[in-house]
Amino acid sequence: MTARHLIPLLAGSAIVLANQAFGADDDTVQRGAYLARAGDCVACHTAPGGKPFAGGLPIESPFGTIYSTNITPDKKAGIGNYSEAEFAAALRQGERADGANLYPAMPYPSYAKLTDDDVHALYVYFMQSVKPVAEQPPETDLGFPFNQRWGISAWNWLFADADTFQPNASYDQLTDRGRYLVEGLGHCGSCHTPRGFAEQEKALDGDSEDYLAGANLNGWWAPSLRGGDDGDGRGIEGWDSQAIVDYLKTGRNAHATVGGEMTSVVANSTTHLTDKDLMGIAQYLKSLSANPAGDGATTADQRQQATDETAAHLQAAKNLSDGERLYIDNCAACHLDDGNGAERVFPPINGNSLANADDPTGLIHTILAGAKPPATPTIPAQLPMPGFGWRLSDDEVATLATFVRGAWGNDGGAVTADQVAKVRASIDDAPLDKAVDPNGELNHDDGESHAANGAQ
Amino acid sequence: MSQPDNASRRAFLRNTFTLIPTVGLAGGVSLTAKAAEPPPNLGDYQPAFFSDEEWAFLLAACDRLIPGESAGKGPGALDTNVPVFIDRQMDSPYGHAERWYMEGPYVLDGSPDLGFQYPYTPRDVYQKGIAMTQQYCQQQHGKRFDQLDADTQDSVLKALEANDIDFASLGESQKLEASEFFSSLLENTKEGYLADPIHGGNKHMAAWKMVGFPGARANFRDWVDQHNVEYPLGPVSLTGERG
Repeated sequence: MTARHLIPLLAGSAIVLANQAFGADDDTVQRGAYLARAGDCVACHTAPGGKPFAGGLPIESPFGTIYSTNITPDKKAGIGNYSEAEFAAALRQGERADGANLYPAMPYPSYAKLTDDDVHALYVYFMQSVKPVAEQPPETDLGFPFNQRWGISAWNWLFADADTFQPNASYDQLTDRGRYLVEGLGHCGSCHTPRGFAEQEKALDGDSEDYLAGANLNGWWAPSLRGGDDGDGRGIEGWDSQAIVDYLKTGRNAHATVGGEMTSVVANSTTHLTDKDLMGIAQYLKSLSANPAGDGATTADQRQQATDETAAHLQAAKNLSDGERLYIDNCAACHLDDGNGAERVFPPINGNSLANADDPTGLIHTILAGAKPPATPTIPAQLPMPGFGWRLSDDEVATLATFVRGAWGNDGGAVTADQVAKVRASIDDAPLDKAVDPNGELNHDDGESHAANGAQ
Repeated sequence: MSQPDNASRRAFLRNTFTLIPTVGLAGGVSLTAKAAEPPPNLGDYQPAFFSDEEWAFLLAACDRLIPGESAGKGPGALDTNVPVFIDRQMDSPYGHAERWYMEGPYVLDGSPDLGFQYPYTPRDVYQKGIAMTQQYCQQQHGKRFDQLDADTQDSVLKALEANDIDFASLGESQKLEASEFFSSLLENTKEGYLADPIHGGNKHMAAWKMVGFPGARANFRDWVDQHNVEYPLGPVSLTGERG
């Protein structure tokens, strides 16, 4: 008997009985912990600064704010009284122990793929290894009609039809394992699959071309994860499997650095997965045919030519447009004239999915507030991009973003100052205020005013 | 009900629903853009540290140390808000000597190698230095420094620099010397002239434009290999102002 089990033994017979009832061993607990990582449960079920799995994170949805629930084994505030069958129903059918429906912010349409074995391991992990927290997160209180949880039954009947995962012999074992993780616990489709008229994911598995075809998430473009090689060659289509593994493992690769919501997914989930599982995920994504190139899509040669032209013009630095000058003054030091940055350090803007998205919100947000990659075990350093909200006016950001979205073969389209103003209004003051205090000193993250010695 | 019927009905419903209108989020109060505020006009500027009389001295002295367009080849200290820079520095950690060792003992007769040895912060140095210089001007010329003509002002500044004005005889008890005050004044004036405009001086980067300094552009890799090509870009400041 391990030390971990010894303490509950001494602490009380009830827990010992529970352990025996589950017949659980360390391996099962550890497998459950790993699966909880793969499912990224902690990201949604933990409030900012709160205890793990105690819930309370406000999740903005088109229907109102949904608060995540406490999924610690606390008997009152959490799921301590759930039987394994009730736990499985919540996970796979979105059904609470009292029979009410969960809001589909919980990705049960994806978790429906989970095998019984994995549900069991997760149950054992949550009941035995997660610390109970007796905190009741705020109740979700959507307006009518979305507060009528019974209505979700109809939604479930229409859209949540996925069955338990069935192995597909046309994939090799590793790729099929990747498919299980992507379609199931990874619930990648929650963000990367476009949603239909009732906010349902248009597809829950790779049988449909809509699956993981890219979607707008609160203004941020969650790019297509369809990595086959028959589209326009941009995005993940141009990444090899190892590049996908690197991205999920470290938050960066030669093509991109993670930003937006995906930052926490890498930090909390994918960086903890085994290289083997990540390779399975990568191979599965590469097996999905790319989004077909639309009318007017550019070829790689055309984009290279446009890149050379933009870079040459920036390098000569003569007869610059305002957008070009703003790029040189604010961005080029790191992202360079060709917009390609430096591998794994400064991500490319050239061909960047966020820069080219129809909705420029994510790009504007990044320019205004900056970005910080996650610290991952293999690359703990977080070289952040500073925010430029304090330095550039709405007009300047619009001019700069418009340039960036049209340079080097990018084709994102123009941005207006109004769009910038809207994003600025949505950002907390803090990141925009790192500017000038009345003494004319620059404020820095570390609280040191480096400029203060200016006159010495 | 057989499965195919069920499936086809679901497909029908999926395709015939009209769009559910999403709830619009009420717009918050929009923040005004935080881009750099324009630098003040020197005439409108209300000094935070210096008194009116000290301010008049500072303006006159800076104007002699770096004279304006009419006298020199480039913008002067007053054209570039140098006194604003100095006033702001007086309210910074520098002005308060916040990061200096300011406990005794003060080795007032020691070697210059010992560095700054007065029990004074830069704020004190300015207040005492200006007061004693004004006293000197009243004694010698019957006027305040800022009331003197330019040549006489120059001679007073030269006397400060050369330590020909004896601060001790004007009441200085801690051996602060005229040259020490002058060197602070000259040093800070140069700094205000050439520092980034974010600190209050170098208004509109005029000094940088004059000397051809490109400012805070962070990376000049492009120009390493461009030989004998004139650099075509004006400067950029920390607040993003483009010149």
